[in-house]
Amino acid sequence: MPLYELGIIVDPEAPPEDEASTMERLEGIITDAGGEMVDKDARGRRQLAYPIKKKNYGVYHFWTFNADGEALDALNFEMRTNDVVLRSLILNMDRELRRKRKMDAKQAARAEKKAAKAAAKAEAASAVEEELT
Amino acid sequence: MRPHHKKRFRRRVKVCRFTVEKINYIDYKDIELLREYTPTNGKILPRRVTGTRPAFQHKLTRAIKRARFMALLPYTGA
Repeated sequence: MPLYELGIIVDPEAPPEDEASTMERLEGIITDAGGEMVDKDARGRRQLAYPIKKKNYGVYHFWTFNADGEALDALNFEMRTNDVVLRSLILNMDRELRRKRKMDAKQAARAEKKAAKAAAKAEAASAVEEELT
Repeated sequence: MRPHHKKRFRRRVKVCRFTVEKINYIDYKDIELLREYTPTNGKILPRRVTGTRPAFQHKLTRAIKRARFMALLPYTGA
């Protein structure tokens, strides 16, 4: 199951119980489909950079979770049809981070090589010194 | 006749921040970082101005466009 990241903006004018029930339902869709929540990050109320549905503020939630692709369809449908949700974005983090992991590995390898080279050089220098004495 | 004194420019060496700091993934939620590449008019600064490497400029534009969609950054300047 790939790792996904979900960003969601909820209507701040909606009653709090509506918001809670919506978030619960979304989580239910993920867990019912055999997925598991990894992280929940509620950023709270924040001013939007531009009005959405004539609203100037939004409540932000960011989740990361493991799930199968089929769960996403249900999730997207629920978010589209729910009036409390102003906007949502799902990213496949496995795909997003693939390049990063590759680059991290490459950089680590390069640093290791450099360290090994420096060590070899130091060893050679000390060997020469020993020969001289 | 050409004037003897030529005006000399000293160009500041531009460096790619992502290469230097080894930021290999640009998150759209990192607005503080993205703000540095979007002036108040909301446009994305070209790499000719910032010196960002092409690979990172791609990632940067993607992150900025995602942030715009999520209303974290404006499409146009206020």
